[in-house]
Amino acid sequence: MRLPGWASLALSSLVISNFLTGAVRPRYGGTLTIELSTVWNKLDTGGFDSALSVPITETLVRVNSNGELEPVLAVAWQHDPDFKRWRFSLRPNVSFHDGEALTAATAAPSLLAALKPKYGEVSIEAGGQAIVVQSDREMPGLLEELALTRSAIFRKSDANPLIGTGPFRITAWEPGRRLNVAAFENYWGGRPYLDAVEIEFGPGHGRADLFDIPVGPAHRIFPEGLATWSSAPRTLVAITSTNSDVTLLQALALAVDRAPIANVLAQHKGEAAFGLLPQWLSGYAFLFNSTPDVVRAKQLVSSLRSGPTSLSYPANDLFLRSVAERIALNARDAGITIQPTTAGNANLRLMEWPLESNDTADELRRIALELGASDRTGSMDPAKPETLYQLERSLLDDHRIIPLLHLRQTYAIAPRVHFQPSTSGTFALRLEDAWIQP
Amino acid sequence: MSFRTKIFLSITGTVVLAVWIVAAVVSTLVTQSFERRDAQRTASLVNQLQREFDRRGKDVARRVEAVAESDAVQRLAVNFGGGQFDASQSFTEAQALAHEQSLDFLELVGPDSAIISSAEWPARFGYKEDWLAQPVDWKAQGVFLKKEDLADGSALGLITVRSVTAGDKTIYVAGGQRLDKEFLDSFPATDGVRLQLYTNFEPLPSPESLGSKLAGDLVQDVRRQSRELTRVNDAATITAIPLQGRDKQLLAILLIENSRAELASLKRYIQGTAGAVGGGCVLLGLLLSFWTASRVTRPLRDLAGSVREVAVGKWDTRANVGSSDEVGQLARDFNGMTEQLVEQRDRMIQAERVAAWRELARRLAHELKNPLFPLQITIENLQRSRDSSPAEFDEVFRESTTTLLAELGHLKTIVGRFSDFAKMPTPQLEPVDVNQMAREVIQLFEAQLQAPGRPRVETKLNLAADAGEVPADPEQLRRALRNLVLNALDAMPQGGTLSIRTSRHDGKVAMEVSDTGEGLTPEECDRLFTPYYTTKQHGTGLGLAIVQSVVSDHKGTISVQSEPNKGTIFRIELKASV
Repeated sequence: MRLPGWASLALSSLVISNFLTGAVRPRYGGTLTIELSTVWNKLDTGGFDSALSVPITETLVRVNSNGELEPVLAVAWQHDPDFKRWRFSLRPNVSFHDGEALTAATAAPSLLAALKPKYGEVSIEAGGQAIVVQSDREMPGLLEELALTRSAIFRKSDANPLIGTGPFRITAWEPGRRLNVAAFENYWGGRPYLDAVEIEFGPGHGRADLFDIPVGPAHRIFPEGLATWSSAPRTLVAITSTNSDVTLLQALALAVDRAPIANVLAQHKGEAAFGLLPQWLSGYAFLFNSTPDVVRAKQLVSSLRSGPTSLSYPANDLFLRSVAERIALNARDAGITIQPTTAGNANLRLMEWPLESNDTADELRRIALELGASDRTGSMDPAKPETLYQLERSLLDDHRIIPLLHLRQTYAIAPRVHFQPSTSGTFALRLEDAWIQP
Repeated sequence: MSFRTKIFLSITGTVVLAVWIVAAVVSTLVTQSFERRDAQRTASLVNQLQREFDRRGKDVARRVEAVAESDAVQRLAVNFGGGQFDASQSFTEAQALAHEQSLDFLELVGPDSAIISSAEWPARFGYKEDWLAQPVDWKAQGVFLKKEDLADGSALGLITVRSVTAGDKTIYVAGGQRLDKEFLDSFPATDGVRLQLYTNFEPLPSPESLGSKLAGDLVQDVRRQSRELTRVNDAATITAIPLQGRDKQLLAILLIENSRAELASLKRYIQGTAGAVGGGCVLLGLLLSFWTASRVTRPLRDLAGSVREVAVGKWDTRANVGSSDEVGQLARDFNGMTEQLVEQRDRMIQAERVAAWRELARRLAHELKNPLFPLQITIENLQRSRDSSPAEFDEVFRESTTTLLAELGHLKTIVGRFSDFAKMPTPQLEPVDVNQMAREVIQLFEAQLQAPGRPRVETKLNLAADAGEVPADPEQLRRALRNLVLNALDAMPQGGTLSIRTSRHDGKVAMEVSDTGEGLTPEECDRLFTPYYTTKQHGTGLGLAIVQSVVSDHKGTISVQSEPNKGTIFRIELKASV
């Protein structure tokens, strides 16, 4: 998929470029320390953070910053006219972290597992460095699917849960606590600059080389001289409900003033959201923009006879708690009584919805599935943006979800850490491009 | 109720009443004394609380002042003045400052009255606090009460406001402490005093939640009247103080409940002591009453006993004269009276004896005179016959001697009757069938009643089947019954009906002999059983006396019932055989 030009422009504007510099020559060596507030208990190919890439595994292809597909582990591919049979030529001289060579046979199991959920019965023929994917269904979007991290090629062993072909290999893994990776000397693309990366999960001390800054009130005193980097808005904050009155949700959507939430509570780390997907991803999100209308909300509420409603938010999430309280305050102005709670049985749920891919159709499909409207995705044609808009519009008109914010992910980066401008131009912080100035 | 009981109850009642009056007076005086003390204590408490409020208010003012002078607020004001204000950097400022100064409420409000940061409700940034836009000298305003809106409702706050000016921009610092149970709990503890706070913007509390109905009513009254009120019940004195906001609206009511447990305890002690003393007095009074009543009524009881003795015939009974008071005089008078009665009785007996002898003499003279006169005539006739006609003398002599013997026999009979009456034998008791005896007596007179030329007398036997037997001397009882039948026949010279009726009830057997003769007057009835009294020309007056004597010897009773021209009924009642 190709990203619109304005999206690339928006993304590039987010990068604070003092650490993305080529003014100093990259150096090899050093250990990069990272603190992540999110806790990972399970290792999978998706990485740890949608904006921070720890490249342990690789996919056959990937999407660059221009939205173009480019080869990674596959160097060439062809398909038949009806997109039912695809043939990929694997990159030669690629080996897994344990030394096993990448062949069609070693790649086939993980590939098959990744494609089955989407395409159902898929057969894979492996022969030498050629791998053939065949299905009874047409697979026109197969390359985009293969570009997703979930389609990465990997193996497992008793000692190592994730053996990939990426620039870093796992050296220590303690679920929920730490992950240590080291440079893969035999990486086909060349050894990364860093010798090792040590990642700690949970509330850190702000003393690492790189750490994420959670959205909301800052509770840390950061060392001076830190640079920050923010991703494109990648997390949707929304209210969902399956059992509340539609009119109530409609009134609530009108009553909530999103701008103070984005500007004050999120401290400019988010954008007011009226659509499900951010503008940079969909290109049409501005069409959903509206302003709060408390008068109209009151009119809608006056026709209701509902009592107090509860709005749950994740326990220990101070940001969502403050958002929930603000929503309750806005709702009260419209005559809606909302009680914020951490209990799980609330009528309304305030949740964060991280984007998993840069594919508009795929994200819409995922959201539709979550909202129980997957049957509507059949009319969607990724090549026709208006079908995507119509699907999102219909999902919004159901009033089962009220988008509030699209949040960015922000990281603090120590002055000694530098990122070499990526040749791939992706929007994540790529550790294979990072180097440390002694 | 006896006289002694009455005296006892009167004295006891007097003692109890006196003790109760004393106890009531003491209790009232003690209660009034404690009421005054309780009122003084409540007033003192109210003053103490007001001083504590003032102190807390000054403390709040000092803390808010410190916030206003803090670097953070000064910087905020400067930022506003310089147009560099960023709400995202300031909206958590109030929480930190409030925490630092231990304030429950703190809001930083911008020149446009929009909340920059709120400690109590962080999400409320950007909302307007229009009341701060009023032109008020907030420092002079001091500390005041205010209803604070919170995410989970409302709360009462002790609030003060300070303004901070930088350039032409003024920001406001409104902070204070929450006025709630915890706030009240922090007040110096006083034994027996409970503080409660009712906030007027909450639902009206139930009396149970306030501790008593009195408190509930008091809250209602203060809500209506908006002035301090005090109510008292047995458990507590409750003073309700209305707490008003800046614009005089009633925001809350402070209830100061001063327990009267100590007073109640003391009252109980006094009442208990009074009760014990009173009880002792009552008990002593009872003993004294009993002793006094016994002492006072003893002569009367003795006198009453003497009266009863006299009533049963012991005329020589004398009352004990133990005192010289009215009762002693009464005893003396009683003794004098009995002495007079004895004298009168003796005189009456004497008179009656004389009368009886006179009656006896009259009867004897009358009875003896009747046969003596024929004797005299016969003897004189015999003398004349021998002198005048000796030839017929033998004939006359024979006739005369016959007459003389008849009259002498008559005399003998008369003497025998008197003798019989004088010598009534002791009855030999044996079971006697009264019905059988009634039949035998009637049969005895059958021949006499059916004699030619005699007026017709019809006999009737009305005998109860269950009459049974009586323990009696059959001869004496038959004689008594016979006398009654003879008496009845004598009462019916013109004929009539003679009835004998028997019956049994209550362990007694009754025999009634009735006639249909002329009957008797009440006076005659009264004297009927008197010896030698008779209403008949030829009677000795001993018949019914003998009947009464027999009945009396058999421990029975005899009575007469008669009406003139209707006849007479004699009724004998004897104890039935077991």
